[in-house]
Amino acid sequence: MKTDDHIPEQGLPGNEASGSLNGNAVLTLPTWLTSQQQPHHGGYFTVMGASCGHALQILFRRRRLAMAALIAFLPVLIPIAMSYLALGNYSELGDNVFVRLAEDLFINVFTPLLALFFAGMLVAEDIEMRTMIYILVRPTARSAWVFGRFIAFMIVASAILLCACALTFAASTLHANLELTRITDLTLLFHYMGVIVLALLAYGSLSVFLGTFSKRPIVYGVIFFYGWQYAATLIPGLIDFFTVRKYIDALLPIMATQRNVTEIQTALGTFQREVFLVSAGKALLILFIITAIALGSTIIAVQKREYAADRAAGG
Amino acid sequence: MTALIEAHELSKWFGEVVAVNNLNLSIKPGITGLLGPNGAGKSTFIKLALGLYAPSRGSIKLFGEKPRNNIGVMRQVSYCPETDYFFENSTGYEFVFWLNRYWGMNRKKAHEAAYNALEMARMTERMHDAISSYSKGMRQRIKIAQALASAPKLLFLDEPMNGLDPRGREEMVMLIQSLADAGLSVIVSSHILYEIERITDNIVLIYRGNLLAQGQLSEIRRLIDQYPHSIRVTTGNPRGLSEPFTALPEVTGLEFENDAFTIHTRELNSCYELLNQMACEDASRIQGISCSDDNLQSIFDYLTR
Repeated sequence: MKTDDHIPEQGLPGNEASGSLNGNAVLTLPTWLTSQQQPHHGGYFTVMGASCGHALQILFRRRRLAMAALIAFLPVLIPIAMSYLALGNYSELGDNVFVRLAEDLFINVFTPLLALFFAGMLVAEDIEMRTMIYILVRPTARSAWVFGRFIAFMIVASAILLCACALTFAASTLHANLELTRITDLTLLFHYMGVIVLALLAYGSLSVFLGTFSKRPIVYGVIFFYGWQYAATLIPGLIDFFTVRKYIDALLPIMATQRNVTEIQTALGTFQREVFLVSAGKALLILFIITAIALGSTIIAVQKREYAADRAAGG
Repeated sequence: MTALIEAHELSKWFGEVVAVNNLNLSIKPGITGLLGPNGAGKSTFIKLALGLYAPSRGSIKLFGEKPRNNIGVMRQVSYCPETDYFFENSTGYEFVFWLNRYWGMNRKKAHEAAYNALEMARMTERMHDAISSYSKGMRQRIKIAQALASAPKLLFLDEPMNGLDPRGREEMVMLIQSLADAGLSVIVSSHILYEIERITDNIVLIYRGNLLAQGQLSEIRRLIDQYPHSIRVTTGNPRGLSEPFTALPEVTGLEFENDAFTIHTRELNSCYELLNQMACEDASRIQGISCSDDNLQSIFDYLTR
């Protein structure tokens, strides 16, 4: 710890001198302070931009981001390795490899994982570290702060996952039946990229919401995103309507959804799922509704809750 | 003069614990000292005034408006919290800059205001260093800089002297007085009477969440002087040394311990004169003298009697 705690005794040069109170010496203050002319307030979008910019700076300084990016790019190696290790007629088709990686890893694992680690923590950390009090005493619309944080998450998470997905697609073209220049194959890539962004919206907004309520958004997020969503697919009935995954699955290309036969499913559960399939349009709408409700609830929570430190009496 | 802060039957409780209880007060422009022992409810009152807490009952207004989620009110106020909270991995400059941006300043203005505020706090030399490398005094100055950068009309300083060395305290007193001279209103909380006494005569006394007194400190002192004072004398021979005090008409009582006695008196000077005489005759007889009336707790003791 440094010991330089002193403000030099002289006032600032070139500024107006003040008088004195109670007979004590008085510092000279700069004119920008004494004129009592406050800076221009840029409005809602200035604050939202500030919240986004600050969150991006925080994220880029995190080792966690490099780690997440590293993990997200690992699937690129899988088609490459499979291509070199494959033996003659036993090689996989390129579209098959890409679709499985896109669904099983990017959409179902990485998307909720990034949402939990970045969207949830961006809000939760300001609350836990109590830096929130500085923000709350500024003339800042709380919704601008929430939206700014969420946009920062979307930028970073989308950039990582979309780049990783595109590279995985490129690597999958080492296999047969998938080409970088074929329009239908590129459409498949863009389809999955779109679903990834929509999944990030839904999972990210839910994670932000968890972050406003809990000090452990990751724990609750893991329980919901991985535990509950998986359990809901095994339980007979319509319980899977209460998952995000059902609506994300409904947006996947038909070819991919029909491939999902490896999970343990009861005959009744499978039958009901076939009967109660959700159309792509409805699924899209529901994902947007989930996002809107989660973000809206987050804003209300930030407005209503008391995030000041030392909540115990007597502070 | 219009009141800056008006609290009407203001109460705040956390579960079963009452932090602020039925507070009715009005604070006018200028410097106001918020005095109370630790745990009195000073910080809770400040957070209620800043809209960080919603009142459990009653109301509080700043500039005639409710402060909670009120952007118009927040433009006019600033806050320097008691505890050190900073953004992770941040430098002093970045901390002030980002808070300026959150205030609503554009990038250029936020840079300019951050530099100006840090220059005023004399932190320009170290402003690009990580806050984690700062001393307590430097952190305090960074917090002051972020509070002043937006040129507020009302500044809340929660225990601003905490952790500062004597010179740092002196500078803080000078800064607060200069701000008041420049027309800013300042609410300073402290649990140390001496600190507040040097800054302002206008005080609000809070004790266990209740408003105990409000007004001029000199008036409160006069009120206190109507009550007996206590002087505690540490000595090896309490009974022998206390004997001359029984002859003084001002002395209302004596209390004895093994190695000390306490004199209760309506007038301090005659007792101090006698103690002075005793010390001149044989200084070894008196090991220590303390008068509890010089501290804030004694004021609370008197006022809660």
